[in-house]
Amino acid sequence: MKEHPQFDEDFDLYVLGTLDLEERDALELHLTHCAECAPRLEQARGRMAALALAAPLETPPSAARDRLLQRVQSEERAERRKLRSLDAASPFWRRTNAVLAVATAALIIAIAVLSVQYHRWSKRLSELEKTEQRIEALRNQQAAEASRARAVLEVLTAPDTLKVTLVSGAARPVPQGKAFYNPAKGLVFYAANLPALPSNKAYELWLVPSAGSPIDAGVFSADPRGNGEVVLPALPAGVTAKAFAVTIEPAGGSSAPTGAKVLVGIVS
Amino acid sequence: MAAARREPEAQMADQALIRRIMSGDEAALGLLYDRYAPVVYSVSNRILRDTGAAEEVLQDIFYQLWRTAGNFDAGRGSLAGWLLVTARNRSIDRLRRRPAIPDEDVAGGEIASPLNLESAMAREELMARARRAFVELPPPQREAMEMAYFEGLTHTEIAQRTGDPLGTVKTRLRTALQTVKRVLTGRVE
Repeated sequence: MKEHPQFDEDFDLYVLGTLDLEERDALELHLTHCAECAPRLEQARGRMAALALAAPLETPPSAARDRLLQRVQSEERAERRKLRSLDAASPFWRRTNAVLAVATAALIIAIAVLSVQYHRWSKRLSELEKTEQRIEALRNQQAAEASRARAVLEVLTAPDTLKVTLVSGAARPVPQGKAFYNPAKGLVFYAANLPALPSNKAYELWLVPSAGSPIDAGVFSADPRGNGEVVLPALPAGVTAKAFAVTIEPAGGSSAPTGAKVLVGIVS
Repeated sequence: MAAARREPEAQMADQALIRRIMSGDEAALGLLYDRYAPVVYSVSNRILRDTGAAEEVLQDIFYQLWRTAGNFDAGRGSLAGWLLVTARNRSIDRLRRRPAIPDEDVAGGEIASPLNLESAMAREELMARARRAFVELPPPQREAMEMAYFEGLTHTEIAQRTGDPLGTVKTRLRTALQTVKRVLTGRVE
C-alpha cells in the first residue's frame, strides 16, 4: 500500500483484526514507514478500546481480588526463595560456586603463567630480531666490500687499461754517468743530469786503479741540459781500473780529488 | 472511617499507583484492580461467556500488570486502554484457541484518548456512549460489528457465517464504524 488509507475505518478494522490477510499485510507495510499514519492508528486504538465498554457490566467474583493478591504474594515469596537459593542455599549452587571459584582461580593462575611466558617470549623475540638485524647489516657490509674488490681487480687486470707512472714535478733529476773503458784502447765517458757549476768550478773524472792513487782522466763541464762528456783522455797504458769517479774541483782541475764526489762507479 | 481514609488513595492517578506497584506495593495493585477489574472482567465474559475463564483472563492481566508495571509509560497511552484492548485480545485468542500475542505487555501500542477512565464518572460516561454506539446500529450492522468485535471474525469469516456477499459485509462494517466514531466522539450530525 503506497498511499495513505483514505478512511479512519481502515485503521479501526486493522485494530480489530477484521481485515483479511492481504489487506492487513498491506497496511502493516505502509505503517512501517509512514509517520503520518501513526496518530490515526493511535486514535483507532482508542476508539476500539472504548468500544469494549459496550459489554454488559458485570462484577467479578468477590474472591477474585483476594485470589489475585494471594497469587502475587505467593509468587513473590517463591521469587524471593528462588533468589536466595541462587545466592548460596542450594547444594547444587554451592557446588557450582565452588567449581566456579576453582575454575576462576585456575584461570587467573593460567593467565599469570601465560603472562610471564609471554613476557619471556617477547624479550627473546626482541633479541632475535636485533641479532637478525646485526647479521643483516654485516651481510650488507661484506657484500659491499666484495663488490668493491671485484671492481678494483677488473681495473687492474683489464687488457685495455692504461699504465702511467707519475713522479713529483718538483723532484730534481738524478745525475748519472756511464764509462766505457778498455785498458788497451782508451776511455769514453758520458754524463747526464749534472747540476750547473759556478764558473770557478769544474767536474773532473778520475780513474781509480786497482793499486795506487786516482788518476786524472779529464776535466769537463756540463752544458745547460746537464750533459757532459770525456772522450779518450790521455791515460797511462795498460792500467787496470777498479772504479771511476767524478768530483767537483776548481776550474782547470786538480792533480788529486779534493771536492765532493758527484758520481762513483765500481767496476764489477 | 476506613472508607474515608481510603478515598484519597482511590482517587490517585493511574501513574502514581503504577509507581507504587513498581516499589512492590500490593495495596496499589488492589486499588487499580478495584478501578478496572469490572470492565476487564465484563469484556472477557462477554466474549468468552464463561465466568471462570473470564476470571482467569482477569487474573492473568492484573498479574502481568504487577510484573511489568515498570514498562508502563503514561506518555505513550492510557492504562485503561491497555487493559481493555488486552482483555479483548486475550479473550478472543482463548475463544479461538489461538496462542496469546507475546508482545502485549503494558508497554504495548499507544492508546489515544478518549480513554482516560481514572474517574468513575468518566468510565460511566464512556460506557454509555459505547453502548449507544451499538444500539444505534441497524441490526445487520450491529450483528456484523458484534461478530467482528466480540468474536474476532474477519470479513471473510463473517460473510461465510451470515451468507452475505463479502462486499456487503465490508460495507456494513465500514458504515457501522463511522457511526461508532461519531457516537464515541460525541459529534452531532
